Amino acid sequence: MKIILTKKSNKYRIPALLVFFMVLGVSFTTSVCPQQANGTMVMTQAVMCESIETFKPLNPAVVFSISQGEVYCFSNFDPVVQKTIVFHKWYKRDQLIFTMQLTLMPPKWSSFSRIQLRDADKGPWRVEIRTAEDTLLQTLRFSIVD
Amino acid sequence: MEALFDLFSGFRWQDGLDILLNAYILFRLYVLFRGTNIIRAILTICVLWTVSQVAVSLGLIITNWAMQGIITVAALIVIIVFRNEIASVLQTKNLKSFLWGIPRYQFNTPLNIIVESVYELARKKIGALIVLPLKQGIDSVVQGGIPIRGRLSQELLVSVFWSDNPLHDGAAILQGERIISAGVILPLSKSKDLPSFFGTRHRAACGLAELTDALVIVVSEERGEITLFKENQIHGVHNRLALGKLLQEHAGDESAPKGIRNQAIELFAAGLISLLCFTGIWLSFSKGMETLATYEVPVEFIKPDQRMEIISSSASNIKLQISGARTLINAVKPEQINIKLNLLQSVVGTNKLPVTRENIMLPPGIRLKKIEPSVLEITLDALVEKELFVQPHWVGTLPKGLIMTQARVIPQKVLVTGGGLALKEIATIFTEQLSLSDLTEPGTIVAIPVLKPASLRLKTTETIRVHYLISKKAGAR
Repeated sequence: MKIILTKKSNKYRIPALLVFFMVLGVSFTTSVCPQQANGTMVMTQAVMCESIETFKPLNPAVVFSISQGEVYCFSNFDPVVQKTIVFHKWYKRDQLIFTMQLTLMPPKWSSFSRIQLRDADKGPWRVEIRTAEDTLLQTLRFSIVD
Repeated sequence: MEALFDLFSGFRWQDGLDILLNAYILFRLYVLFRGTNIIRAILTICVLWTVSQVAVSLGLIITNWAMQGIITVAALIVIIVFRNEIASVLQTKNLKSFLWGIPRYQFNTPLNIIVESVYELARKKIGALIVLPLKQGIDSVVQGGIPIRGRLSQELLVSVFWSDNPLHDGAAILQGERIISAGVILPLSKSKDLPSFFGTRHRAACGLAELTDALVIVVSEERGEITLFKENQIHGVHNRLALGKLLQEHAGDESAPKGIRNQAIELFAAGLISLLCFTGIWLSFSKGMETLATYEVPVEFIKPDQRMEIISSSASNIKLQISGARTLINAVKPEQINIKLNLLQSVVGTNKLPVTRENIMLPPGIRLKKIEPSVLEITLDALVEKELFVQPHWVGTLPKGLIMTQARVIPQKVLVTGGGLALKEIATIFTEQLSLSDLTEPGTIVAIPVLKPASLRLKTTETIRVHYLISKKAGAR
């Protein structure tokens, strides 16, 4: 499995990502309730999706076909009181496959991680979004199928 | 002394019983057939068998082959030639005398009648030939004769030899308290050193005494003298007392202390020899043919704490190399070998348990040579309960243009019992594979959870349902 880590944490290098500061008000699938950790930020959305276009998750779902080529975990935080970090932990079944560290910047931030899909990746997955203190903010469960 | 103990190491109570039983059978055969020619024939066969075994050990193939053939033929000959004696032993005895009693063949014969009859015959100078068989049969050496089977009396016995009686020329056979037959022709002795005054009657008596253990009484017709023939011995009898004593000795009178003592010594020696014979045979079986065998035996763990679970073991079977007599090794059944390991001292986690002789139960007479592996590494775990999330395991492909936007499992969590170590690594219980192929609309599926490892137990009895939402895919990538 080839893992592509993409984080949009440096607004100075990638100004275009400022668009992510826009609030993503639409809640699609598994993300419904804002999650707050230590009062430093509030997670307003977390979804698994097929793609991200114009800084929004495209086709949030719980089942993804290998033919899609990749799957994204999108998370949105608003507000972000101070610079902080969160983690996207990808598990296939109960085995940790990789951990992605994402830096959140005030006043609000969106970020994502993704994996490229291969045949061997089929099966049930989950992504845990955790704070630096290992507080679980959200678990997103999905399956990768044919 | 130590060597003697070593020789009898592994001696079981079954071996003792085995030896005693067979020794007693041999002893009884001797008692039943003692004094007969069968014993001599069997002893000859035993000598031939010993020669055959020596020939085998020396690698003398032809000698061994010849001995085997001779033994086979000899055994057949013994059965044919001594069929009457064998039959008399097997048929005429009751069960008690067959299993326990010491046979006394002529004891019931009314000796005083014989004594009086013989003296009357002598006084009247009537020639007589009276045969009292003992243990050996005489059928194979005598000829003719007329069956009488009459109760013995002085008048009948005297009348048998009366000169005008057609039967008076032959011998009368007495068995117990009956005259079995008369006019029987006895084999003549070929001995050349018999007294010259012995006639045909004496020579016939001597001939039978040479061939059998029978006592033969001869009354001389010319001189009226009484002579007894037994086992190459000739006794001239001059008074009733002497005749009675000789007859009593022949009959095995219990009142004769010398006879009793000799008999007791003889039987004791026979019993001892029987015992030694079978002890030797047992030793040759148990020590002479020592052999090795390897058994793969499953390990039985004894758990004092039932909440403990064995998660893994470096081996479930242990190879035991055992040694012992070939017959004992061949008789070993797998269920007779057990390995029991007590987990009393073991703790949760990985434990190294040595497998020692104390853990292994072997049948008597079997010795342990090698244990492989001699150390088992087992992982123990304590039973705990844990709530685990349930996640559907989707497979297949949704119809084109559709996506599953939500899959909600009810109940979201289930209670599972299992080893703490195993459950520590488990956060989710996955359902069996749920096919996507036919799903086109939102709905509900009943799902069965798959428990891995299999030692896990589901405590929740509630049916697991998956409510799913399906919608059309919004736009292209």
